[in-house]
Amino acid sequence: MDTTPEPMVRVQHVSHNFGAHWALRNVTFSLGKGGFLFLCGPSGAGKTTLLRLLHGALPLGRGAAEVAGFQLKGLSGARVPLLRRQVSVVFQDFRILPGRSVADNVALPLEVRAVPRATVRKRVNAVLRSLGLDDKALCPCSWLSGGEQQRVAIARAIVVNPQLLLADEPTGNLDRALALHLMEIFKQFNTFGTTIILATHNRDVMAAVPGARHLELTDGRVTAASWRDADLEVAPAEPEDGPARPKPGGRR
Amino acid sequence: MIARMARLLLRGVADLGRNPLAQALTLCAVTLTAFLAGLFLLLLVNLNQALLSAGGDFVFQVYWAPGTPEDALRDQWARLDALPGFQAKTTYTPAQALDELGLALGGEAKAIGGLTGGALPPTAVVSLRAPEADPAVFVQQTLSALQGLPGVADIHYSALQVDLARSWQRFARTVLWPLIGLLGFTAALVVGNTVRLSLAGRRDEVDILRLVGAGRWYIQLPLLVGGAVQGLAGGALALGLLALAHLALADLAATPPLNMTFAFLPLGHCLALAGGMALAGALASLVALRE
Ligand SMILES: Nc1ncnc2c1ncn2[C@@H]1O[C@H](COP(=O)(O)OP(=O)(O)O)[C@@H](O)[C@H]1O
Ligand SMILES: [Mg+2]
Repeated sequence: MDTTPEPMVRVQHVSHNFGAHWALRNVTFSLGKGGFLFLCGPSGAGKTTLLRLLHGALPLGRGAAEVAGFQLKGLSGARVPLLRRQVSVVFQDFRILPGRSVADNVALPLEVRAVPRATVRKRVNAVLRSLGLDDKALCPCSWLSGGEQQRVAIARAIVVNPQLLLADEPTGNLDRALALHLMEIFKQFNTFGTTIILATHNRDVMAAVPGARHLELTDGRVTAASWRDADLEVAPAEPEDGPARPKPGGRR
Repeated sequence: MIARMARLLLRGVADLGRNPLAQALTLCAVTLTAFLAGLFLLLLVNLNQALLSAGGDFVFQVYWAPGTPEDALRDQWARLDALPGFQAKTTYTPAQALDELGLALGGEAKAIGGLTGGALPPTAVVSLRAPEADPAVFVQQTLSALQGLPGVADIHYSALQVDLARSWQRFARTVLWPLIGLLGFTAALVVGNTVRLSLAGRRDEVDILRLVGAGRWYIQLPLLVGGAVQGLAGGALALGLLALAHLALADLAATPPLNMTFAFLPLGHCLALAGGMALAGALASLVALRE
């Protein structure tokens, strides 16, 4: 698992700013196909920003990144949907359609891919069952609790068997038992070949996947990692005399 | 591929049912705008028709020089029947004219006759009906035909009709058609903006579709169809309302003293109204997504 023969994600010297604020500073790492990576760090560290860059929800400014074979630098709007058919995302705020039923929401990515209806029904039912949502399939999502909505968001992400799964604090609204159950499901998908990047600061969740890599972000910088390789740069500790400026990325 | 297209098109219509209240409000706005534009057009079309299409009846009074030989007169009078649009004529030799005058004036006729008998010109009063074409041209042609008759000294005709038609045409060309264009544009803007706003409520849905990998047309086609259907439905409803309004107005116009026939919008105008609304709705959905 620790060798990286063919990277699924390769991030090189990526920096990203919102106005004057640098949310990511010179981030460099890569993750091989089939890998499992925990992205950790305090709130505001840049985890969400990094995940958004990786599925084309933010344009890549400085640095270079390759995801599932797509160069993100200058990725045209027409190719973003193609990238997203390889990459599923579980959002911190779910992003499900409250007025539609659970089954409808989960079926959405399959319909977008023009999967035949019978297959859609079969896959949706299977995924809902594995997440304990089968009795809620026909409920409008607005009737569900936060934890149930989160599971709908997860079901929608895994129903397509993505190459890469990005999950932003997917256990944030779940109790401990449910969170651990969910990690079992993620682990299962991972053994079947899905590469997973999961942002969290929950220690229990991280402990549930012993073989996973860990990458720590602090203030937009990679400050610790559980492995070492040529594609990884860990920043030295922040100098005391004020915030450092981001290095100009991608030019070595 | 075609089945998928058809499914997307149908989805556009089906999605309209998801938010009935918002859609109903949008439809109302579209319908009312289209109705107002249509009503203006309807009144205008009828006014235009009343002023232009009935070329109208013209009465020409033709005077010959006193002393024109009587058999020459009779010959020319006979030829008046051949004028285009000829309806009726009345002719007076100087003597007949005097008799008419005498009848009109009663007992004093003899005295006048003694004084002016020789001075009355031979006269013909000709009623003509202008064909559908431009009445002004018709009047010009008739005038030159009459002036060509030997011995004709003077011609009077009722010019009011011609002047009215002329100035109406000028007004229509310089003011009215640009105004109609502006009105149509305004209606399209109102409709477009309404549809665009109703799509703003579906922003989240569009964002989510994008995030799960929907391509441009998967998102756009149903919205396009939805916008077009809203525009078309509004246009069709407006035409229905216009038909009702037309019934009422036609009754009103048919009663004396107006005695006018009040026509409905020609088919072309109806199609343009409904089509324009549909187009505005469809374009608005394109614009809404680009924001
Ligand atoms: N859309 C945005 N506009 C401005 N600042 C933002 C935006 N998104 C994130 N940030 C800022 O970037 C930093 C990193 O945010 P985020 O990536 O959400 O952190 P995390 O997910 O690790 O909590 C934060 O300081 C946050 O305030
Ligand atoms: Mg976050």
